[in-house]
Amino acid sequence: MERPSELPQRTANEGTPIRLGGWVSRLAGNRLLQRLGSILLVTFGVMLIAFTLIRLIPGDPASILLGEGASTQDREAFRELLGLKGSLVQQLAAYVGGILRGSLGTSVESRQPVTQFIASRLPVTLSLIGVTISMALVLAVPIGILAAIYRRTWFGHLFRITASALVATPTFFSAVVAILLLAIHFNLAPVAGYRGNFPANLRYLWLPALVLCGVQVPVLARVLQSSIVDTLEQEFVETAIVRGLPRRTYVWRYLLRPSLAPTIALLGYIIGTLLGACVIIELIFNLPGIGTGLVQAVTNRDYPTVQGIVFVFGMIVVLVNTSSDLVSEWLDPRLR
Amino acid sequence: MVGSSPQVEPNLWQRFLRLDPQMRWGLVLIVLIILLSILVPLLSPYHAERSADTPLLRPSFAHPFGTDQLGRDLFVRAFAAARLDLLLALIGVSIPLTIGTFIGAVAGTTRIAAVSYLWRTVVDAINALPFFVLVMAIVAMLGQGVTGILVAIALTNWARYARLARARALALRDVEFIQATRLLGYSGARTLLRHVVPNVYAETLAYGLSDFALVIVAIAGLSFLGVGVRPPTPEWGAMMSEGRLLITSEPWIILFPGLLLSITAISVALVAERLVGRSRGEFF
Repeated sequence: MERPSELPQRTANEGTPIRLGGWVSRLAGNRLLQRLGSILLVTFGVMLIAFTLIRLIPGDPASILLGEGASTQDREAFRELLGLKGSLVQQLAAYVGGILRGSLGTSVESRQPVTQFIASRLPVTLSLIGVTISMALVLAVPIGILAAIYRRTWFGHLFRITASALVATPTFFSAVVAILLLAIHFNLAPVAGYRGNFPANLRYLWLPALVLCGVQVPVLARVLQSSIVDTLEQEFVETAIVRGLPRRTYVWRYLLRPSLAPTIALLGYIIGTLLGACVIIELIFNLPGIGTGLVQAVTNRDYPTVQGIVFVFGMIVVLVNTSSDLVSEWLDPRLR
Repeated sequence: MVGSSPQVEPNLWQRFLRLDPQMRWGLVLIVLIILLSILVPLLSPYHAERSADTPLLRPSFAHPFGTDQLGRDLFVRAFAAARLDLLLALIGVSIPLTIGTFIGAVAGTTRIAAVSYLWRTVVDAINALPFFVLVMAIVAMLGQGVTGILVAIALTNWARYARLARARALALRDVEFIQATRLLGYSGARTLLRHVVPNVYAETLAYGLSDFALVIVAIAGLSFLGVGVRPPTPEWGAMMSEGRLLITSEPWIILFPGLLLSITAISVALVAERLVGRSRGEFF
């Protein structure tokens, strides 16, 4: 995170002569700046996709929503509400300008700002994702370590085949099984619903989070396993064993820390799949999150809300991707 | 093929027995599901869309999967649904596979700088968005139903194939046989179509199979949410959504279609996993 000030210092310490005009190439070659440029391009792309979405509608959206009998005046007002007034360039400028001012348009259904709708539902979804990821890490790290160490035994084979099968199992089927087994048969969790803030809502969140873990734990554990296997073959691990380091130091600093980097780098991908899976899981467990919000908006043809949710989801993925890259570089300096 | 070279070339059955267990069992399950999806609706005395017996019967010998609210036999419906779901997933995979491979191969062979910027704003942005969310959003715009979901999947998924194909094509640029085409004076189009695309295709095809598992689940998921295939038609997701509210009293309505969907997705994924690994090993 402090990289721009870090880099020149290091070169100075090593006594590398800094050539005149070197700052230009260094600026262009600066990874942070390159990354920033990349983020801006992808952000613009996500904005463009959200903007284009409403233009995919075959026919006039105003007449679809208002019916054929609507007056021209009503239709015009509606087109303005949807951001469909003026030329395409003007529309895009207005859309980008709106986003820069923090506005994602107005919901056709409730006539409230889309940002307000998203802000009211995002906390539930983010809590679900937070619980899922914490749970997934707690389960995946020991499983991944064991699967790497015992990879040639029955446990390793069992892990391999179970992981492949679990990843492919549709979450809405495992959700049904989990509800039948844990919520109805053993009565360990409420079947559906949501209430309260942080500690209280865990009662409603743990079962959907467990279902989502069914897909995420195998993915995480498998990546962790293969990177630990790679690490085991490195010379510095051998050195650590030869030096007779305590087991805890050995496992954390020599085995886990460099092996965690690929797992953390995966978080962006995991958040992406979780945001997608949340749609169905929230519906099944009746959680008032952004996923059920999307289903509602899709069925009600609330176009601006759909656009807004797509944009916000895209931004979340881009942000998490960037920060997980930074964290994995901190964990494994070889990646820099 | 088998007759012309006895002993030397192992025949299909021997090759099948030599496959590793994961691939063999995956293939067995896939073939079994395809066969049953054809045979069960053909041989069963019941019709998939008409009432067969009393509503909400428990699974029994006459109705192995039970009956639903309308008294329809769920065994026939579940296997009739397999046909539709497999077909839809096949279409849902092949369209973006073809488009994406071609676009990626073209982008990987051109040396125009603007392509890489355009790539980041379009392809990387599409890939940054959660697949299922973008598909739902496009369905919301295009209209619900089978056509809507197939077009939405194509519009979303081509970017994943394109990314894979471009990376492959970029790597191919420096390989000898591609450089040789330039020395031989082949036109850019000939190099692209005859040499780059076939090589790129091998890899995207293997990925396509693993994508098949994802797409079939997505199609069922969209129908489960009520924006895909409509209820009277037998389809796994639609059938599960019909049983959703009866989960406490008549769980078999939602369980059996879900079980078949899972078995299909898992067996395809098991085979695909092996194929992707193999295609990677065999390259160059």
